[in-house]
Amino acid sequence: MAKGRELKGRIKSVENTRKITRTMEMVAASKMKRATDRVAAARPYALALGEVLARLVRPEIAEKFPLLRQPASKRKVALLLLTANRGLCGAFNTNLIREARARIAELEAQGAEVEVHIVGKKGIAFFKYLGRSISSERIDIGDRPSAADAASLIDALTDRFAKGELDGVHITYAKFQSALSTPPTTEQVVPVVPPATQGTPRDFLLAPDAETIVESLLPAYVRNMVYRALVETVAGEQSARRTAMKNATDNASDMITLLRRTYNSARQAQITQEIAEIVGGAAALE
Amino acid sequence: MAGTLQVSVISPEQVLFEGPASAVTAPGFDGEMGILPMHAPLMTLLGNGTLRIESTGGMKQFRVSGGFLQVVDDTVRVVTEEASAVA
Repeated sequence: MAKGRELKGRIKSVENTRKITRTMEMVAASKMKRATDRVAAARPYALALGEVLARLVRPEIAEKFPLLRQPASKRKVALLLLTANRGLCGAFNTNLIREARARIAELEAQGAEVEVHIVGKKGIAFFKYLGRSISSERIDIGDRPSAADAASLIDALTDRFAKGELDGVHITYAKFQSALSTPPTTEQVVPVVPPATQGTPRDFLLAPDAETIVESLLPAYVRNMVYRALVETVAGEQSARRTAMKNATDNASDMITLLRRTYNSARQAQITQEIAEIVGGAAALE
Repeated sequence: MAGTLQVSVISPEQVLFEGPASAVTAPGFDGEMGILPMHAPLMTLLGNGTLRIESTGGMKQFRVSGGFLQVVDDTVRVVTEEASAVA
């Protein structure tokens, strides 16, 4: 019965693993719910800001704002990569890193020097392994990123862009389209691309004037882009983890079914053999 | 006085208030300003101070700093990076 005991041990072990993955799946599902709520809650603000900027930004005034400046050439650009602090979420981090590397290669092919800023342990670990220098790294942004986190990430970069030290800032994050679709995406943060105007233009009383309003709203718009990226990445991470853990749980269940079947047939074979031996022994005595 | 205002107070993290109101007093960049129904379309920057909304469910107060306020067709939108409800 040596084989039987071994099989029993394996069944037990897979059952324990399944218990863990099932718990992780449920935890990720509830975190994902909260994260998607935050994604939804962040939408009205982004829409409102975008709409106002679309109305106010005109090509005539665009030249006056450093954040709207279109550099003639891209010499030095920054790429902000958002990844998760934890693994066990399928190909989520790998996909983000792959997207970032493709973007870096693309920008370098255009002759730009790329500095990499990374959020999340997984991205940092990978770029360290590559031996690439990382300009800044953050691991303190958790499951509930705040607007202040976004500001602390991007403000230094936009300042340097305004001074002309950088010719662009891009951000690579997981766009949260739905729970099943969170493709890694790269967007240009600065120079700001004003959203396209929608709806009928109206005459507004402006106080103070359009330029002053744009000046104070542009940084808010930039910060909000980063905030949205942070929130969406967290939602994407949780949904990726939920899917990965669901698959793991399903696989564990399949494995248990298979192991149990093997165990039962081994047990049955052994009983049959024992009976045959007893019958054989009894027959020999007669 | 005709009609009511539809007011929403929006911060990056959430919508803090949404509902009808009869008047809004906002801390403008150069002083307090009151908004009543039938206001002309307006877009203005906000300063620091207390935003007061005379809603049907009583007076609501929010501390805001920065951001802007937009009025179109009796819809008031307060969009600010920092806002918190004052009890």
